[in-house]
Amino acid sequence: MTAHDWFIEHRTEYAARALDAAEMSAFAEHLAGCDACRAAVERIESELRWLPMGVSPVTPRPGLQRRILDHAVGRAPGRFRKWSLPIGIAASLLTGFTGWQLGQQASRDPITSPIVSAPARDAGIDARLLALQDTVSIMRQAARVMQAKIMMHGQEGGMVIFDEPRTHRWNVVVHGLPAAPIDTGYQFWFICADGMVRGTRVSLDRSTPMLFTTGMPAPSCKVTGAALTMEPMQNADGPPQGKTLAHLML
Amino acid sequence: MHWGVGVPERPRIHGGAMNVPPDRPLRLESRQSVARSLVSQERESSLRARLAQRDEAALGELIELTTPWLLGVAQSMLQDADDAEDVVMDTFRVMWTSITPAADESQGLMPLLLRMTRQRAIDRLRNRTRRLRLVTALTPSEMDRSTVAPVEPNEAAQPGWHIHTQVHAALASLPPEQRIAVSLAYFEGLAHSEIAASLGVPLGTVKTRIRLAFGRLRTALAPLKDWVP
Repeated sequence: MTAHDWFIEHRTEYAARALDAAEMSAFAEHLAGCDACRAAVERIESELRWLPMGVSPVTPRPGLQRRILDHAVGRAPGRFRKWSLPIGIAASLLTGFTGWQLGQQASRDPITSPIVSAPARDAGIDARLLALQDTVSIMRQAARVMQAKIMMHGQEGGMVIFDEPRTHRWNVVVHGLPAAPIDTGYQFWFICADGMVRGTRVSLDRSTPMLFTTGMPAPSCKVTGAALTMEPMQNADGPPQGKTLAHLML
Repeated sequence: MHWGVGVPERPRIHGGAMNVPPDRPLRLESRQSVARSLVSQERESSLRARLAQRDEAALGELIELTTPWLLGVAQSMLQDADDAEDVVMDTFRVMWTSITPAADESQGLMPLLLRMTRQRAIDRLRNRTRRLRLVTALTPSEMDRSTVAPVEPNEAAQPGWHIHTQVHAALASLPPEQRIAVSLAYFEGLAHSEIAASLGVPLGTVKTRIRLAFGRLRTALAPLKDWVP
């Protein structure tokens, strides 16, 4: 076999960029001085031009296409544009939560609730503030935010997950959905490598968003995603039986 | 407690992104049906002209049309959604700054973007140490499983799906050992030596499988080469 025979034999792998790095460099160098190989490689590239379409398409995350456009034309996107929707939802939830806490505090004012001592009341407020602070920290330190859009009865809602990898916890927001029909309920699931693991039952009343924090299931469960289903109420501990409304893969 | 049923899992790579039903017959459709499935020749020409004139709306149309496939290419190699997004963003930036009215039209916008994305994904893959973990994590059983991964029903509505199914058919027609080798080399960007190590076969065997696989793929995909999507 001559040196040129090697290049002839490997034209296809070069055209497919499937040679090792050193071989790719050697081939590129050879092409500069070999018209026959260059023409052959161009023909093979043309024949294999659609081969990358062997992959499955991946649905872009919300806002990505806008960011691609901004990046391509050199327009700097807003720093938080990528997460503007989930952050907005979370902010409104936390605002509401804080308001509720203050309302609770006012209702327990010594004038109206004389039996609650000041130290006990302060301790309760401190605990709730710590919990709130913890919730916010998950959102602040989230490595990624995943969103899924859900259409129900012409109404658009969704599920947003803030993934905080340091403590392996998620803040999950379910919003914009109508109250579940009688005898059914929204059910959150972990999608694991070997099946589905039941998570929190999601209570939604009059389209009020729900925020909850969850840790991961047992360490043996390799979580690959999450799902939201509409489950019959009698299905309290079985596998998913209801309609899948959303699923998110990591 | 685990339940082995439920939400359809997104196709995985190893090579989950290359979910090839092994028994799917090889079937090549007409040029017209494929052309309708992605973008007509007229629309391609119009997009090119508008892109050369720096029409951002045209760029937006192209992004909407092609991003799912480009993300698929990048994610299959990088196994990381954020990295894949970066690669696709970079691809469009380079395309936007380099396209001119005199640019070569013979290649087609979609194949050009696919090639650019794949090349950037390869560059990024070869520059990071995480790749070592990917290689060591591969096992033949994982790769066997992935070749029959399910497909989400709504993917069939994706522009370009017909081309996708024909490429799948071509891949499915390969002997399993060749399909795995070409999947790892082409769709996941592994070097031949890495494939040999992960499969536990000699380097020469890997090279032979890949060479034979590409030879078959060239024949199977040749009817597609002149189609202008």
